[in-house]
Amino acid sequence: MSDKRLMTFRAGLAASLACATLVYCHVPARAAATPETATATSPNELPFSAFFRRPIGPRGLELSEALLQADGREMRLTGYMVSQETPQPGRFLLAAQPVRMSEDADGAADDLPPGTVTVLLDESQRERIVAHQSGLLALTGRVSVGRAEEPGGRVSWVRLQLAPQALAPGAPSTAAAARP
Amino acid sequence: MPTPFVCRSISALAVLALLSATAAQAAPSVTRLTPPSELFSSGKPEPVIARFLPGQRFDLQATLRPDVGQKIVEARFLIDGQAVAATVALRDCASGCTKGLSAETAIATVRAVSIDKPGRHEFSIVATQADKQTVTARGNFDVVPFSTAMGPKVKNVIILLGDGMGAAQRTAARIVKGGYAQGKAIEPLAMDSFPATALVKTASLNSVVTDSSPGMTAYVSGNKNNNNEEGVFPDDTIDPFDNPRIEYLSEYLHRTQGKALGIVTTADVFDATPAGNAVHTSNRGAGTGIVDQFFDDRARTGLTVLMGGGRKWFLPAGTPGSERSDSNDYAFSATDPHTSEIVKRWGAAPGAKDKQRDLIKDFQGAGYRYAATKTELDAAADADRLLGLFAFSNMNVALDKINGRRGVKTGLSGAVVDDYGLPDQPMLDEMASKALSVLKTQPKGFVLMIEGASIDKQAHNMDTERWMLDTIEFDRAVKVAQDFAAAQGDTLVVVTADHECSGAALIGGSMLTDAALREMGNARGVNNLRDKVVGVYERAGFPRYRIGRDGYPEATDIDYRLLVGYGANADRLEDWRTNATPLRDSQQPFAKTEPLKWYPANPLERDDAVSEFMVTGQVPGESAVHTATDIPLSAFGPGALAFTGVIDNTDVFFKLAQAAVKGVTAPADASGAKRPKANKTPVAANKP
Repeated sequence: MSDKRLMTFRAGLAASLACATLVYCHVPARAAATPETATATSPNELPFSAFFRRPIGPRGLELSEALLQADGREMRLTGYMVSQETPQPGRFLLAAQPVRMSEDADGAADDLPPGTVTVLLDESQRERIVAHQSGLLALTGRVSVGRAEEPGGRVSWVRLQLAPQALAPGAPSTAAAARP
Repeated sequence: MPTPFVCRSISALAVLALLSATAAQAAPSVTRLTPPSELFSSGKPEPVIARFLPGQRFDLQATLRPDVGQKIVEARFLIDGQAVAATVALRDCASGCTKGLSAETAIATVRAVSIDKPGRHEFSIVATQADKQTVTARGNFDVVPFSTAMGPKVKNVIILLGDGMGAAQRTAARIVKGGYAQGKAIEPLAMDSFPATALVKTASLNSVVTDSSPGMTAYVSGNKNNNNEEGVFPDDTIDPFDNPRIEYLSEYLHRTQGKALGIVTTADVFDATPAGNAVHTSNRGAGTGIVDQFFDDRARTGLTVLMGGGRKWFLPAGTPGSERSDSNDYAFSATDPHTSEIVKRWGAAPGAKDKQRDLIKDFQGAGYRYAATKTELDAAADADRLLGLFAFSNMNVALDKINGRRGVKTGLSGAVVDDYGLPDQPMLDEMASKALSVLKTQPKGFVLMIEGASIDKQAHNMDTERWMLDTIEFDRAVKVAQDFAAAQGDTLVVVTADHECSGAALIGGSMLTDAALREMGNARGVNNLRDKVVGVYERAGFPRYRIGRDGYPEATDIDYRLLVGYGANADRLEDWRTNATPLRDSQQPFAKTEPLKWYPANPLERDDAVSEFMVTGQVPGESAVHTATDIPLSAFGPGALAFTGVIDNTDVFFKLAQAAVKGVTAPADASGAKRPKANKTPVAANKP
């Protein structure tokens, strides 16, 4: 079991380094802005750090103008796919920091940072479960901002709708995501 | 001859099937009887499963299956042969029941029953279906008598709950915090100085391996609950808030004595352990309803202090960051007695599906001071009721909070707490201190539960240094409670866990300096990172950590460090060194540059991954799991010496209640705590 896991891990690592051949791939370091370094000067880049005012005030999140202006627009987000015990078909979570959820043990008492984004696959892929992928991912899609209840009851405030071809073999790296 | 045999077999089967069908329609049946008992389940009178205090409230319930085409028209409960004089709520299962139950299945419930007379009691259900056929079933429970007191009653009860804290977690914190010299602990933990210790059995109603819900509720209800359920017995409906209830210690002592309740945690306040002191639900994940019940039923629980994370449940649905949803809220019917009797007989709030509710505002309107940061907590000097919500979900762990205070910037935008946008979070001992300053003004005393939540959560992650520091943080809260109890003389303190997590074991010490350990990490593999690092027996020596002025290790990556293994682990890659962030990834090309090499997505992909030292897991998935191992309990203050031996987790409830209701049964301890002032009236022995 351990050898198999390790081989899988190694294989994934090697594959991620050769992203041109992957269905999804990691963003090359030189090509992607980090969550912190991306700024409003990159018009299609929406850094997590620009989502809301920090430090957070005494009540809810105060959404930034940059986030509100991104609503309905094609944007690129760079973050980490949240590792979930029970991945949901047709969607996954993207956060500014790598987080592993223990839904089975702790439910919604989790360590998700505020501002975690729900990434939605195309309607034609709503039954598809995307396997977890480590490392920073840059995803391009249409941003929607506002309250939405998801299957299972979780509430999301920012979503990224991927294009249908985002999961297709040979998809451009600007729409890269995890291996299926 | 095969053919006749087959024919005979078929004939026999047909007869059996006919007999079976006839039998199935011969009479209605009882498929569940609550409170749970072996008398009902197996016909054996012992062990008795359900136990209550004299006068402690609980619900009676039975699930009744009528014959096909029939329906249950009447149901009566009897206790010791006497009809229970209360409304029997009878509902069918046309909707709202678990899969597999016919629409005609009936659920009969009587709410908020109590028995004063101690001893063994037998209860039964008698149900009648439309054709007048009846069915009966019986179960039993005990009412545990109060014992003759040897001393006065305690005014206050403090329960410190180190979630997931087994003996290994305690020992690790002692070694890291205080160190050893020639086999002697130099500075024991505060919890080590408690005069009484017991070993606690932690099984839940449906498993030897409990989760945090029944792990907590056993201590404060005296009864076993199913995993994932809080303050209720299991039932056959899908409504998570309608289960048969058991009265909590907080409710019992508030109703009978006017004691207040305080809840302090480093987790989201809706999490299983905090909720398991005041909220009744079969779904520990029903966040909106859970936090609403905290507030709605404050008059029944005496809730006076509530602190932790979980702000997302308190914000109206329209506020960014809110997680409130009607789908996990609660609302009792005004007309259906199945739930309206909860309101009527328990005095519970009816609730409402109100995701737009501003619960922070409701708390403030009811006189609670609200604090969102440590600074605001410090400023709440004159508060007599307090709500503190310092994070949107779980608070950050001790290591990351301390790094934030020390200015150690291991996160993306600064410290990890900066990444979360919440840099000013209090430590658990600071919350405990504030809670006590508020609660000590309560004239009738209080019950305070203080939870170190992430000992468990980080043990799940097999993030050794993070649960070690959370255990140290927890022990600092223990010291706060101990000092309070020592000064007051009328406060009983117990320190325990709900269960062990991860099968943690202190396997030895590193035989290397940290620099050499790094080299072994670069060299990789089991030959380097196990065989050349792990020192067992005398080679483990005595790891010595330097403690900073803030009470935490100056560094966790020391020479000759303490090494921890896991017996309930998932696969993990190990390099023995501290993970700089909660999760770190240094394997991806994008993460090569500072500071983005931090944060792995799971334990297999932390910086440990470069080590290529794979420790094969015994459990599937990526998380370590809870174990069924007994856990230690330590007690301090009047009544402490009653906590000895190997006890069931439900025993703790009866010992706490004895001390608070009738007076302590153990001699005064020798710990230095003041003796409680004598009662004005003599303590009388309880008459059965």
